Amino acid sequence: MEQASVVRAAIVVAIAALLDAVVVPYLTFGFFSPRLTLIAVVFAVAPLRDLQAVLLGFFGGILLDALGSDLFGVGALGGLFAAMLASRASAVRRRGSERVLLAQVAGLAVAGYDLLGYTARWLAGLAVPQLGEYAVGGVLPDALINALLAFLVGGWLLGVVNVKAPNGWEK
Amino acid sequence: MGRKKSSAASGLAALSILCVVSIALFTVYVKEGDCAKEQVSCGPLHTVQLGAAEVLQPARSVFASLFEPLQRASESVQGALDNGREHRLERQLRDSQALAAESSRLERENAHLRELLKGQRSTYEYGPLARVVAPVGDQFTQRIAINVGTEDGVEPNMPVVIGENTLVGRTTEVSKHTAQVMLITDQMFAAGVRIIPPAKFDPASGELSPAVSAENVSYGQGLLETNLEGYFGVDLVSLSARAEEGDYVVTSGRAGDKELLFPPGLYVGKVESVSSQDIEQFKKIVVDPAMSPQDLEAVRVVVDWAGREG
Repeated sequence: MEQASVVRAAIVVAIAALLDAVVVPYLTFGFFSPRLTLIAVVFAVAPLRDLQAVLLGFFGGILLDALGSDLFGVGALGGLFAAMLASRASAVRRRGSERVLLAQVAGLAVAGYDLLGYTARWLAGLAVPQLGEYAVGGVLPDALINALLAFLVGGWLLGVVNVKAPNGWEK
Repeated sequence: MGRKKSSAASGLAALSILCVVSIALFTVYVKEGDCAKEQVSCGPLHTVQLGAAEVLQPARSVFASLFEPLQRASESVQGALDNGREHRLERQLRDSQALAAESSRLERENAHLRELLKGQRSTYEYGPLARVVAPVGDQFTQRIAINVGTEDGVEPNMPVVIGENTLVGRTTEVSKHTAQVMLITDQMFAAGVRIIPPAKFDPASGELSPAVSAENVSYGQGLLETNLEGYFGVDLVSLSARAEEGDYVVTSGRAGDKELLFPPGLYVGKVESVSSQDIEQFKKIVVDPAMSPQDLEAVRVVVDWAGREG
């Protein structure tokens, strides 16, 4: 039997946020950029309870905001959105198909984060491209590639977050 | 099978509260304004980001050196994907121009280093040579971090150059030992520029012909910015003003009696194309920037210049 470790999940999210701040700027091509924190949040919070999931999503988002140089608050909202989606998805998942389902959730979370970022920039009066052009040329490929990335690293992430609970006779 | 979730209600309540907190943080951040513009101490959220940038600088430096070969490889792959004879010839031409520019830059750098041994160039006062630490920002921005800060006399809104006078961008957020530079190709960047014929400007030395500053000569003047359509160019140039392909684009320094952010004569690039339609009020001028963001390694901040007010 497996159970999730909140501490491990928090460490995974923190490391992802750190990588997001240090490595990801080199891996940004046009509108595509790997969203490691969001992917980590989705896979790390999925086995957790609702409250833990929401708090961890917020924690990851705030770290993303603090370590980056983008508009503060967007990462926090994105993290919450990702955690909420992952938490809902975990309620309906079937054993064996978690990875595929959570990869789709990660794609959706990235799309939501991109649109949040777009809206925030627009609200802050900063330059933004045409919404249609950005949705097709930016959000869609970003979500698809990140979903693929999430699928590739998801199994490993789930393995890191889940720990085997000791059997009764081992206690 | 779904797990029992006893914390569903508290999770929803926490989600609502944290959403409000996130929106409040966003509002506070935007209200804090741009540290660069305010010229006073930044707000708490900007300070957090500046502190994080300061702390992450060593890690970024390490990754910058690790990713350098990867960036070069990515450029080569991008080049290989461009098919067609025209593209190939264009690429060869660009490479040759880059080599020529590099040779000229080295020559200038050599001369400059000799000059540095004797003393700084009289018109500009430079900060110490700064290393480009890392690119920063997201998909909408073009910024870099450099390893000089307030301790080196660098402040927000100072011009950043390569060589002596090729404009790279301007400083935005500055901490003790690091500064962010908004590149000229960032969509938020704008600068007052003029368009002058090659005979009137020497990009190597930055010397402007005296005729350019004469009031009766009408060279094109406008606002350098990256248009939302994605082209880098000069806007607001009157249809009657002179502007031709191959002309140089340099900062104007002043607009009427107002001093602008940059000193006059900083070299920005060459005019790539000029077009205009009768129904439009201004010319459409596309500029080929003299600097290439991928090739930036060391830059210099112009901390003061002759004739600067205040």
